[in-house]
Parts: sequence; C-alpha cells; structure tokens
Amino acid sequence: MIATTASGFVDELAQRHLDAAYSLGRWLLGNDQDAADAVHDAYLRAARSADTYAGGNARAWWLAIVRNCCLARLAGRSKERRNVELDATPGNVHPLLPQSEANEVEERIDAAQRRERMTRSLRDLPIEFRETLILREIEELSYREIADVLAVPIGTVMSRLARGRAMLQKALADAPATHVAKESSHGL
Amino acid sequence: MDCKTAHELLPLYFDSELDRTTSREFEAHLDACADCRELLVGLDELRRGLREDAPRYRAPTALRERLADSAAAMAAVAESNAVVPTRRYRTPLPLRFAASVALAFAAGGTVVALWNSPHGSGTSRDQVASDLFASHWRALAATSPVDVVSSDRHTVKPWFAGKIADAPVVRDFADQGFPLVGGRIDYVGSARVPVLVYRHGQHLIDVFVLASTDAARLDASAMRNGYRIEAVRLGDQPAAIVTDMDAGEVTKFDQLLQQMK
Repeated sequence: MIATTASGFVDELAQRHLDAAYSLGRWLLGNDQDAADAVHDAYLRAARSADTYAGGNARAWWLAIVRNCCLARLAGRSKERRNVELDATPGNVHPLLPQSEANEVEERIDAAQRRERMTRSLRDLPIEFRETLILREIEELSYREIADVLAVPIGTVMSRLARGRAMLQKALADAPATHVAKESSHGL
Repeated sequence: MDCKTAHELLPLYFDSELDRTTSREFEAHLDACADCRELLVGLDELRRGLREDAPRYRAPTALRERLADSAAAMAAVAESNAVVPTRRYRTPLPLRFAASVALAFAAGGTVVALWNSPHGSGTSRDQVASDLFASHWRALAATSPVDVVSSDRHTVKPWFAGKIADAPVVRDFADQGFPLVGGRIDYVGSARVPVLVYRHGQHLIDVFVLASTDAARLDASAMRNGYRIEAVRLGDQPAAIVTDMDAGEVTKFDQLLQQMK
C-alpha cells in the first residue's frame, strides 16, 4: 500500500539525485546496464519503504538504498565474472573530449590518458575505499552523510578516506605513464 | 599546535569538518609548517584530479523513462488498491528465507524477484558469508576493530544492550589464551548484529551473533583469501567465527564457546 504522498516524496528525491545514484552505481558495478538496473531496483525499494524513512538526510537515505541494491548485485556475481564485467576502457571518455583543431590534439590525448589512468586506478581500489572516495570527492557528502550511506561509524569513514586517498595517490604515482610525444602541459 | 596534532586534523580541515576555532589554530600552524602545507597540496591535487578525470556518469534518458513507467505502474496499483502482482516468481528455496528479511521493507513476492534479478544470479547463501568476510576485513582495515574496548564482559554486554534488541552472552577467555578485546555492531545484509572480538596471539577473531534465518543460510565452514568462517553456537544462539587462525585453533575456540551458557 503506497501512500501517494510517500511515493511523491521518493519520486522527487530520486529525480533530484538520479545522476548521483547512477554515477555511484556505475562506479560500484562497472557497467551501464547493471548500474541502471540497480538504480531501478533502488527506486522500487525506496517507493515501497518510503514510510520507513525516519527523517534525517534524505539524499543519504536514497544513496544508501542505491548502494545496497548495488552490493546485492555485486554479491550475485562470481569473482571471475566481476573481473570480466568491469569495463576495460572508460567508454564515455571520447565523446566528452572537445572535437577541435589540430593544435589541441596532443592535449586531448594527454587528457584522455589522464582520465584513463584515473579511472583505472580508482576502479582497482577495493570497493570500500572506492565508494568512500566517490561519495566524498565527487558527490561531496559530509562525513556524517557518508557514515549514513555506508552504515558505518564516522571513524571508519575517516580511516577509509585516509587509506583510500593514500592508496589512490600511490596507484596514480605508480601507474605506467603512457608517454605523449612531446612534453605537454598538464593543465587543460 | 604541534605537527602530530596537525597531521591528524589535516584531512578534517581539508574536508571542512573542523569547527572554526580549531580551523584557525590549524591555519596558524600551516603558516609555519611546510610539511603540512605540502600534504594539503597533495590532497588538493588528488581531489582536483578526481573531479576532472573521474567521470561523474550521467543517468541515461532510458533510465529516467523506466522510473517514470514504474511510478505510473505503482500509482495505478495504489489507485486500484490491488496487491502487487507476483511476477517472475522463480525463486530458489534459499531465497524464501531471504524473503523474511526482505519483508522488513515490503510485502509481496516482487521484492524477492528483485533480489533474484537476471543479472544477480548468485545465491543468498553466498551473501551471508560475503557479508561476514567483508565485515571482518572492514574491521581489520579500520583504526580499531571494536567500538567498545574492553576485556571486561560487564562493560561489553551493557554496551550492546543499549544498541541492539538481544544482547549476546559475553565471556572472556583470557585464561584459555583467547582474551576478549571488545565488541562492535556490524551489518549482515540489512540486519544489525552484535560482534564479539577476541584475540589469539596475532590473530583477531570476530564472533558474529546471527539471526537464525541468516545462520540457516551459512555453510558450516568456508575459506576465502586465507580467512575462514566457521558456523558455531554461542550458548544457544547461532553464531559465526571469522578469523585467520588455523583449523586446530578454531576448533579449540569453538569448544570454549560451546561451553558457554
């Protein structure tokens, strides 16, 4: 029995934070189809349990449901399959690059390589560090909100952030720098 | 402010989690300390790199349409006040147990079908074991594997009592070589469960006190990456040990637990 007001609340919440939900799902699951399915699962689940929402941060409540649906999907995959399913190359990179003049070609290659390296390094982090970093740095959630989404103590959020950042910094530093022909500037 | 304190506060300052007074003290230290400035620059570079180079994926239009369709369908169902039809009810037996957990947030078979969606074809049996391993590893990764530190069962049990419906039986086995370290609350699926933490030499032992539905979905023992799960009983409550001890020590510890009443 879904109260119209409750489902209206979830509708609005899901619409407003749909990109955040999808992006989180995409980073956790590694491909478009699973991410979309997980967000759809989350939406149904949120609509059905809207009356259990006990106040507090609504975005964190919604993202927590999204995350749980993602983890349920992840758990359903075998280990081998998980490795295969994660995309080998970031598919969305090239359309995002400016289609422009020849003197920008090298910068574009450089940017594409930086993206590729960042995506790969982040993707290779253990999931608990990856999700914490994404919630903090990309979705810009506070420690308290992250703790609510992950259902862990704030101390855990802090230690995962510290460890995740250190691991990512190391991974980026160690990543084989694919060389560009000339030494081009790193700023875009 | 000394450098050690500043190092601890640095991420909090960077993430705007410090109050104003402490921020100012931190900034005063920052003016004088090149090391801390360098660390801060490092964090900032990482953040900028993430925001520029790690794509924030946009939800595809197809997904928006799918949600709109579902919203319309749910509204129609709510209007006719009908029960949600049970589609795709091809649920393997173990998942029937999962339903009782799922019922916490909804009624109706479609929810079970959700968990059994075409992509996530794994069993809920793996899920419990995975949750246990994950909790254990997470606890190892955290600064402290426990939320309440104590070798005294008279501290640990009341701590649980305030946070969870059924506080577990707590006993210290320091004399037998398995001192009680403390306790924490962790998640198995969406259920909050008490975890007792013991130590044996260098090994940490988590004892998860499980609901009987979860316990039923757990194999007697499982291994992963050198860690093992052993289904045990804590007095009359079903429980699971997660640890990297070898089998002989696990058996010894298991026998201690079984004697608890």
